[in-house]
Amino acid sequence: MSFGRFVLKRSLQGLGVVWGVVTVVFALRFVTPGSAINAVAPLDASQETRRAIATELGLDQPLYVQYGQYIFDLLRGDMGFSYIRGQEVVGLVFARLPATVELALAASIVAIGLSIPLGVLSATRRNEPIDYGATLFSLGGISTPNFWLGIMLILIFAVEFDVFNTSGRGVDVGDVALSVIGSEPFVGTLLAWLAYITLPAIALGTYFMALITRLTRSGMLDELGKGYVQAARAKGLPDTLVRYKHALRNTLIPVITVLGLQLGTLIGGAVITEAVFSWPGLGTLVIDSINRRDWPVLQGSLIVIGTSFVLVNVLVDAVYAYLDPQVVND
Amino acid sequence: MVSARVIRNLKKEFRNSALAKIGLLLVVGILFTAAFAPFIAPHDPTEQQLDQSELPPLGFSETTERTTSQMVDGEIQTVTETVEITPDAAHPLGTDSLGRDMLSRIVYGARTSLVVGVLGTLLAAFVGVPVGLFAGYHRGNVDDLLMRIADVSLAFPSLVLAVALIGLWGRAAVNVPDPFVVAGFASDMPESFVLPITVVIVVGLVNWVWFARVARGEALSLRGQEYVKASRALGADDTSIIWNHVLPNAITPIIVLATVQVAAIILLESSLSFLGFSGTTLSWGFDIAQGRDYISSGQWWIASLPGLAIMFSVIGINLLGDWLRDSLDPGIEGEGGAA
Repeated sequence: MSFGRFVLKRSLQGLGVVWGVVTVVFALRFVTPGSAINAVAPLDASQETRRAIATELGLDQPLYVQYGQYIFDLLRGDMGFSYIRGQEVVGLVFARLPATVELALAASIVAIGLSIPLGVLSATRRNEPIDYGATLFSLGGISTPNFWLGIMLILIFAVEFDVFNTSGRGVDVGDVALSVIGSEPFVGTLLAWLAYITLPAIALGTYFMALITRLTRSGMLDELGKGYVQAARAKGLPDTLVRYKHALRNTLIPVITVLGLQLGTLIGGAVITEAVFSWPGLGTLVIDSINRRDWPVLQGSLIVIGTSFVLVNVLVDAVYAYLDPQVVND
Repeated sequence: MVSARVIRNLKKEFRNSALAKIGLLLVVGILFTAAFAPFIAPHDPTEQQLDQSELPPLGFSETTERTTSQMVDGEIQTVTETVEITPDAAHPLGTDSLGRDMLSRIVYGARTSLVVGVLGTLLAAFVGVPVGLFAGYHRGNVDDLLMRIADVSLAFPSLVLAVALIGLWGRAAVNVPDPFVVAGFASDMPESFVLPITVVIVVGLVNWVWFARVARGEALSLRGQEYVKASRALGADDTSIIWNHVLPNAITPIIVLATVQVAAIILLESSLSFLGFSGTTLSWGFDIAQGRDYISSGQWWIASLPGLAIMFSVIGINLLGDWLRDSLDPGIEGEGGAA
């Protein structure tokens, strides 16, 4: 199978999963019967009013008609209407999405950028102080609840030393990019951005940094013990080349897969990190829509979250296949 | 299979690893604390003593500004005075904003975390393992269907799915009588323990897929083994082959996964409690949420200490998981679960 066909096949499978996601989300409406009507109708609404609302929402139609209508609407980019907020769901969800993506990307970049060198160092200097330090750090990192870490960061860096902001988003990363060419001072905008994003990004990224450090360390140790590494060394190849070109490359392949699977944890973590730092993203929207029983918004957010997960995993598989062409033939 | 070789490996790995010893110590400590909470907690964790509120832990004293209004010569005067609050030996870890003893709350919080962690993991395993074994053993359409369900299930982050399901179903909790208190061995303690049953069901339903994936992988590789083929040739039916030959040989990675899952579910439970979705108020996550409002006014311990309890519990379980993985099967990758 060629690389192109592999990517096409994975994309089609991904599309199937998205369809499953949409179906599950559609079914959620029936887990609590009548809630769609209750969300709109006043408490003392008469039977006639309730029936009129049901007709208005299409709830009196047979199930397959409702399902077909739901998918048809989604394809047209219509996720329904939030009666509680008086807004289209699509607008609400996509207004919040960039903030979450920004936070998740910032956390991932910090996590990946620091953890891979740390894992490699830890493996190549086994049983030295840096290895013990990295092992302890990664053990603590995978065991610490991120919302608590966030609160501790606020306690230290915002309450004790007034360095960072603790709630909201301030400027977004687009403003920082624009300031390079625009009239706003670049450094000032950058600092304003960092003041808001630093603490939530650390709170969210620590778990991943710890996880990737662990995976990189154990992967590197495995690879360094393998025959080809010893053969390469015996042939007189420089140690750094063997380590970073051969061993690290083979270590990163499984690390990438785990990262794809753990993306759900990243998004889940973002939900609660956003709650701690009042970050105006999808996570706070999800929590808020549950507390206000705003089901259309919850459904729309779930579809966007599920679809993003599938999209990223298809991309991860493509990268994986590119790095390790054997995968394509499995 | 638990054979003499397995026990030998466990012992050998344990002797050589300081981390395994620390892990076992932490886990046994937490199990003990959770089981005998009424004897260990110095106070009823729910008892409010408003005159004892916001006491700092031993070794720390806190200065705070207290504003009082008084009637002086027919006028209301507000007096702000700086008072020093000193710890009280009766409350070694201090008290929260309602004067509840922090140590007692942390001791009782261990029950919620462990019970939800263990019951949630058992439920996830009871659903996931049979489904995974069956699908991996039979392959074909059943397997395809399972893998697609697993893909869809993984597309929703555990926390988001749990929050959504609890939001839709409500937060049910059941009261389980505390046997020690009912039998009269411990007085002045809560008579029942609040079990957030919805949380147990939801985390079980959310995390079964990890067990199904691992069990399926094992069944796939075991179905081609000689002894499985032999049993089939001898006319054994599928259920008994899965039960007698596949499961016992697949159990090692399942046990390792279960350990990781208890840790993941404890973290998930604390997140749900933090967000107010759990249905119990005696939980580490809930106390962190309460304490969060007080970090800017100086009462740092209310949010900090329950978090340390979560961290050390999860570290203990993770170390135990590493020990089991390293000694049972060096070939298993530590894929983790979902927190």
